[in-house]
Amino acid sequence: MSNDHDGTTRPDDAPYVVELSGVHKEFGDAKALDGVDLRIRAGEAVAVMGPSGCGKSTLLNMVAGLDRPSAGTVRVQGQDLGGLNENGLALFRRRHIGMIFQFFNLIDDLPALDNVALAAQLTGTSAKQARRRALELLDELGVAHRKDVYPATLSGGERQRVAVARALMNRPALLLADEPTGALDSRSGEQVMDLLIDLNQIGQTLLIVTHDPNLATRCASRLVEVADGKVARERMLESSS
Amino acid sequence: MNSAVWRASRAAVKRRRVQTIVIGLVVFCSTATVLLALAVISAARAPFDAAFEGERGAHVSALFDPAKASAEQLAATAHRPGVEAAAGPFDQAVVTIPTDWVGRPPGPLALVGRPDPAAAPVDRVEVLSGRWATGPGEVVINAGGGGGTRFLGTSLTTSTGLKLTIVGFASGMSQSAGGWVTPEQAAALHPTGRQMLYRFTDAATEQQLTTSLANATEGLPEDAVESGQSYLVLKQAFSAGADTYLPLMTVFGVLGLVVAALIVGNVVSGAVVSGYRHIGVLKSIGFTPRQVVTVYLTMVSVPAVVGTVLGTVAGWAASYPILKAAFSGIATGTAVIEPAGWLPAASLLGVPLLVALAAFVPASRARRFSAAQAISAGSAPRAGRGLKVQRWLGGTRLPRAVSLGLGQPFARPARTALTMAAIVLGVVTVTVTTGVSSTLARSMSAPDGSTHIDVLTSAFSENKITPRLTPEQTEAMLHATPGAEQVSVRSLVRVGIVGQPQLVFANFYGGDAMVDHQRLNVVEGRLATGLNEIEAGPAFLDQHGLKLGDRITLVLDGRQTTVTLVGKELEGNANAITSNDATRALLTPDPHVVEYDVKLAQGADAAAYQKAVTDADPSLSVSVSTQGSVGPVVAIKTFSTTFTVLLSVVAALGVFNTLLLTIRERRRDLGMLKSIGMTPRQVVAMTITSVAWQGVASGIIGIPLGILVHRLIIEHVRIIAFTDSMIDVWGAPLLAALALAGVAIAVLGALVPARSAARLPIAEVLHNE
Repeated sequence: MSNDHDGTTRPDDAPYVVELSGVHKEFGDAKALDGVDLRIRAGEAVAVMGPSGCGKSTLLNMVAGLDRPSAGTVRVQGQDLGGLNENGLALFRRRHIGMIFQFFNLIDDLPALDNVALAAQLTGTSAKQARRRALELLDELGVAHRKDVYPATLSGGERQRVAVARALMNRPALLLADEPTGALDSRSGEQVMDLLIDLNQIGQTLLIVTHDPNLATRCASRLVEVADGKVARERMLESSS
Repeated sequence: MNSAVWRASRAAVKRRRVQTIVIGLVVFCSTATVLLALAVISAARAPFDAAFEGERGAHVSALFDPAKASAEQLAATAHRPGVEAAAGPFDQAVVTIPTDWVGRPPGPLALVGRPDPAAAPVDRVEVLSGRWATGPGEVVINAGGGGGTRFLGTSLTTSTGLKLTIVGFASGMSQSAGGWVTPEQAAALHPTGRQMLYRFTDAATEQQLTTSLANATEGLPEDAVESGQSYLVLKQAFSAGADTYLPLMTVFGVLGLVVAALIVGNVVSGAVVSGYRHIGVLKSIGFTPRQVVTVYLTMVSVPAVVGTVLGTVAGWAASYPILKAAFSGIATGTAVIEPAGWLPAASLLGVPLLVALAAFVPASRARRFSAAQAISAGSAPRAGRGLKVQRWLGGTRLPRAVSLGLGQPFARPARTALTMAAIVLGVVTVTVTTGVSSTLARSMSAPDGSTHIDVLTSAFSENKITPRLTPEQTEAMLHATPGAEQVSVRSLVRVGIVGQPQLVFANFYGGDAMVDHQRLNVVEGRLATGLNEIEAGPAFLDQHGLKLGDRITLVLDGRQTTVTLVGKELEGNANAITSNDATRALLTPDPHVVEYDVKLAQGADAAAYQKAVTDADPSLSVSVSTQGSVGPVVAIKTFSTTFTVLLSVVAALGVFNTLLLTIRERRRDLGMLKSIGMTPRQVVAMTITSVAWQGVASGIIGIPLGILVHRLIIEHVRIIAFTDSMIDVWGAPLLAALALAGVAIAVLGALVPARSAARLPIAEVLHNE
């Protein structure tokens, strides 16, 4: 049994959602990842920390299928990503991955509701159904009253909540967060952290890349420290929430 | 320009390699197109005027009846009011040359007795080879379109047995004679007319010329003037060929310029918009607003100048063969047909100026931004535009990739308008070309499905073997040879027209079929099949001031017959008429056959027929006839196809450039869409949809415009008389096909950017933002 961020326990025999084995990634002569092994079970919340340029984001990209390793295997939800072409990777992300970014990456031309609905509409869900589900999510995240507002006029915290709603739209097995509080003021940052904790509490697997020790210790049950493209240390965290 | 500005400009050019190449290509294509159009426009007018003034050409070449006006009376007309200068009187005699001579068919030859005209006050005919006639028995031939040094020293024998030795070839813009002899020799030829060559102070219009001639000849007997040939008619004949191409070339030249200006404006505008951060950085490190504008203008000017230089070279090189085609078969006299010398200079200065103007407006936007505004505009989220449309599309049943693509252009309405304008012009070009080609296709006689054999006699071919058979025997042989179904016969002679100084070519058709399968279509009236009937093309009618039903008198070998104009041909030589063998027999007993057309029976062996004919008479040149199109038709089709390809490519480049800009601006959105599961195919669909609907809309606007321009062009091609059925070519299938032209141009330009969008590296895009 292992502790989760809220002190509750997760069964040690929960299936692995992420399995990285001997993953290398080189950009020219530079080694971004140098033989990384990492496993994340369903329901876990894992934070990856390390100095700039250590390979954190590259690691996240490998798990999301946004980039391919130079060597080694990446399995997510039992699927070997190395065996998928670009189309297969897109379909994989659509079904299994939700992503949130430091700078939100919302589409400026679409109101909050349509930004969220977009993820489902790409899978062929009708506009009506997608908007209904998007509204439910915005409601759960406390920003339903801002559904018709365009990103440019949302606050930073609201934007990130909309981005989280979009990431959850297709009920992903794994939620990836790349510096999710990096562009927010402290109050908005706190709100997003609470949101991530809530999600994990209801069973959402999380992989968070961050520079912020506060975010890591509050939201994650396990901390993976990366240095020079290698996993330097792993340790379980006590929840501070 | 200081080194910092130059360095920043050079860096901007390097950073936007693809855009730089697009600007260069667009300017290259446009410059070449415009230069070609201007070359034809200038060559249609300027060379005639230059040569005419250089040799002090005659505004009117007047022919007088010597029985009604004495030489003294005529000499006195040179001093009448309104006469600026005059030459003459010169005796004129018409002799008949009964056989082929210097590559020309038999017929009459108008000889004028003149001393060396090198210093004459009017019509300084230029000797092109040999020398001027100085003694009896010598003749100088008007080179017109033929003759040369190889015929110098050869002799002509007239029908009366007089032998004249060719001592020179000469030419003049006034076309005042078929040949020149000494005044003494002319007097000995029993002249039938006296020629006066006038230059008038008022000679701008036909009306002024008529009035000036009337003033000059006041006091002479009323019918003393037999004819007066106006230089304006010659000028029109000179440019007749080029006039065929002018409407088309002008339209394409203007379209090329407008498309170039639109696309350059679009490119620079996009460069400024996508370069906000760059502008901010430049200003923050101390660049003045003027220097920022200079950087952006220089960035555009570098490829524009390269494109202009290459386009000028290409256009200049292409203008020679095009002018050669435009002026082929036209008597150009001493005029030098070449593109005007000022064209390269005008294009080298004018096109970059146009590009700079197109670039200045968007570049001056860069000037207005403060450094902070510019930097924040480059990174802050954009305020959404076209929002209602996007929102509505998001709620439709369309696949999301398609609805996103449809809404995208509304985010940048100005850019969309410029891109659409370029596609509209592309559609106009395609519509015009399709219309012109269809009209020309309809104007040509439909093939009858049979094989035809062309048989040229030695009079008309390069084959100078002495014939074994007479024309009558040849016709009988062609009939008797197995495989022949019908044999038609064409005779060609030059005949005079009473009251007109110039000779014209007359084609007389006979044999089994009055209608040769290559004979020109009659578009008004009917074929000239009856005795004393002729038909002619619109250029002939124009230049001789004739209409259907008019009567003229033809003269040949001292005989004459009055004929009625019963048919207007689709096109045709400005100096040619068509008639029948019965009419020919009234003028000359010699058949003057130059060609036979044999229609073979179905299944006949063409090769065996050709061999049998050649065996029967080796002097005959035999070949299988091809149902080809005639000169201007081929040339117009070639021009329009070339320009369509050029302008369509330019329009597609406009789309290509717009999409590149859009993709660059929306990299982050694309990365995000891919990160949430948009497949590469969906990215391509979205990108292509964003321009495909613009292609559809452009078709709706461009097709009616193209139809209008097609009609304008066709109505201005004066040497071809198109009928309504030839002009109204727009059936539903053709319109449907044209509707696809805009989509095709848009999709063609979108393919590469769409694929590059689909391949955008998501991780790199999202983490660089």
